[in-house]
Amino acid sequence: MKRWWLRPLVRFSAAVALPVAVPFLCVLLLWALPGDPASIICPPETCSGTEELARRWQLDQGPLHYFTSWVSGVFQGDWGNSWRVMTGLAVRPIVEESLPNTLALLGLAAVPVLAGAMVAALEMVKERVDPFLQVLGAVPGVLLALVAAAWQTLRYGPDGEPMAGLLLGAAVLGLADGVLSGSIIGTRGLFSAERKQRYTGVAILRGETVISNTLPNVAPAFIGQLRARGVQLLSGAVVIEVVLRVDGLGDLLWQATLAQDFGLVMPVVTLFALLSASLLFVQALGEVAVALHVRRSPDLGGSAR
Amino acid sequence: MARRTAILSATLALCAVIGTGSSLSYNEENLPSTLNPLYAASMSDFRSQELVFDRLWFHDAVTNELKTRIVQKWEVADEGRAAKLTMMPGIKWHDGKTLSAKDVCFTVDAMLDPKTTSPVAAEYRQVLAGCEAQGNLVAKVKFTKAVHNPRERLGFAVLPEAGFTSTAISPDLDFAAHPIGTGPFKGSRGRRAVTFDVFQNEHHKPTIAQLRLNDAGDPTLAVRSIISNGTQGIIAVPPLLRPELSVSDDVALKSYDLRSWWFIAVNTSKGPLKDKRVREALNLIIDRSELRKLAIGTMTGDQNSPCEFISGPFVQSSPYYNRAVPVVERSDLKKAESLLTAAGLVKTSGTWTSGGQPVNLNVGMLASLNSEAEDLLSQIGNQLSASGFKRIDQKITQDEWNTRVKSGKATEYDLVIGKWSFGLVEEVNDLFHTRTGGEGKMNIFNYSNASVDKILQEYEAARTDTAAQDAYHRLHASLAQELPYLFLWKLDTRSAWRTEVRGNIIAPYYYFTEIDSWKYAR
Repeated sequence: MKRWWLRPLVRFSAAVALPVAVPFLCVLLLWALPGDPASIICPPETCSGTEELARRWQLDQGPLHYFTSWVSGVFQGDWGNSWRVMTGLAVRPIVEESLPNTLALLGLAAVPVLAGAMVAALEMVKERVDPFLQVLGAVPGVLLALVAAAWQTLRYGPDGEPMAGLLLGAAVLGLADGVLSGSIIGTRGLFSAERKQRYTGVAILRGETVISNTLPNVAPAFIGQLRARGVQLLSGAVVIEVVLRVDGLGDLLWQATLAQDFGLVMPVVTLFALLSASLLFVQALGEVAVALHVRRSPDLGGSAR
Repeated sequence: MARRTAILSATLALCAVIGTGSSLSYNEENLPSTLNPLYAASMSDFRSQELVFDRLWFHDAVTNELKTRIVQKWEVADEGRAAKLTMMPGIKWHDGKTLSAKDVCFTVDAMLDPKTTSPVAAEYRQVLAGCEAQGNLVAKVKFTKAVHNPRERLGFAVLPEAGFTSTAISPDLDFAAHPIGTGPFKGSRGRRAVTFDVFQNEHHKPTIAQLRLNDAGDPTLAVRSIISNGTQGIIAVPPLLRPELSVSDDVALKSYDLRSWWFIAVNTSKGPLKDKRVREALNLIIDRSELRKLAIGTMTGDQNSPCEFISGPFVQSSPYYNRAVPVVERSDLKKAESLLTAAGLVKTSGTWTSGGQPVNLNVGMLASLNSEAEDLLSQIGNQLSASGFKRIDQKITQDEWNTRVKSGKATEYDLVIGKWSFGLVEEVNDLFHTRTGGEGKMNIFNYSNASVDKILQEYEAARTDTAAQDAYHRLHASLAQELPYLFLWKLDTRSAWRTEVRGNIIAPYYYFTEIDSWKYAR
């Protein structure tokens, strides 16, 4: 307990490093691909004179120069233009249009996950529903998304309906791939194990509530589980957006990666890294809060703790 | 009586307003990659840009005459080394500014600027030498040498000087998504669609208020959508789905002269395929009639067949097509077998081997072709397997096609199935010339043959139509012997439009050249 700050510190550091490291890795990947970066982005059949393009896109002085000029551009509000997917369109408005859709998708998908965790913590879901939850969790998200996409096409035609796509996507994202079942079964397992501890029985005899006793102890693991679900939702969102044609960051990332449009890949992966980092940050904050709470509790002389 | 006339007039006026204020949506093969004419790379790019820009001269869709909408008069200058163009007055750009001679000269200067990294500009650099604006409306365009028909050389789209900060035009400018032209529509690229809003001008009076270009997606869904009036047009309908549309009273199928032909490119520098006899054998193994039946749904002897076999790199209606070279319609496995044996291949347990190893053929096909010829890749693979070759089938994405296949980098393939489309000028030099000094830019497997190069140079040097035809006839015969490609067929391109869309003349290649005459009344 003396070094309680170490784990949150690692998480804070990772949260800070992630949005820098991920785009930098992308830059290194661009240089690792065979051929010079400018002709990967715009092949000679589409663009003659790749040296000129390399100069224009800051690709002529190595990966570090490209990365630093991209970062400084971002800080000055210039996110550049799409090179291939939507050639010529400024990246920033595209990303600004896509981010709310992804956040809405994630937010809606998080509702059943959080609700499931809550009812599981309060022991409101019985173990007999576990087989049903496990079967639901075993359904791959991509399969469920394809079924949803087929239904959407039949119902709304080939162009689909944006709101229907979003709601269906959120439902699939929240239910499939073991997100909901993992949230319920995992949380219940965590709390029921803690509930079996002797100190909980003593607390009940003292007339205290179970949850107020168990929560500080399970909180770090519980927050960790929630972060894992968050990361799962984040990665699942890419698949769901592509299949259900939701105009979000995941779909954008998919298209940009296929077309090797690094002008678009860079800001989108940075945003994904930022979302992932924010989850790490929240987890670290939670751990700090729990540690401070525990350290502020009255000292009962050692044996009771 | 006067009241009746007034009511009638009002009704007619209302109908006219309804008719002209309409918006129609159509499905393209894919979304255009750019709306900047200097960077057009696919047919959907060309078609979309035709709505936004005016080319100095274009061919009439019906009479094939050279026409212009923006040049009032022209004359040859400097003994054929220049053309003096007087621009039509009063033509507006989509941003409200007036078209002037400066814009023509800016376009020429932009194409001549080496910092403009456009392959279209690179082609024009060989012809154009400069431009001089003489007053507001007169531009003198100079050529690198005397040309006998300067108008033929001036088929480029005019760009607005005010739309750019310099003559160095790169592909990623905002102009590529929000171009400014003098064409009948103002285009704007979105994420899943491109919208074209009408722009009334001195020289364009289109009656359709808005066009919306959608990505085709699943062709079956696109057909359903046009029948239910969800969309009003499909640019290219796959042959297998045409019968469904042809029985509909609400949809008309229209011919689109695209001059496209299909081929299997052979990697002539890889393994046994280096041997001409092996290539000849493959040519005899491929049963084109069977493929046509299975992939396109056309039976032998079918009148109105959309598919016409070819024996060389031109469509049969082309003046360059050499009719003396016969097409190989059916397979001849016996002859193929003897050719393979003569080439040193040995058939062991039904599998062809070379040097004791089974011959594996890595076959790739441009994925989008599957919508026009369903399962063609598998069908060709099956024919190769049945005759004793091991094969791996792979679909090639449009991006891989553009970046790797066209640039000759996809050498891991043995055979690549593809399609080339041409305008009125069916120049094939870039497909077969050795890749040197800017020649052979689309030579898929870097095929190199000195005698073929010589013929291609003769075509290049030809000054009369007859000389050009002679050269290409010889090329046709030579390629049918050498077989760097196994030539398949010309497949008719048919568009589908709702019958409410009237007057829709479809121009060869550029499609929307006559869009002003199109009418749509819901």
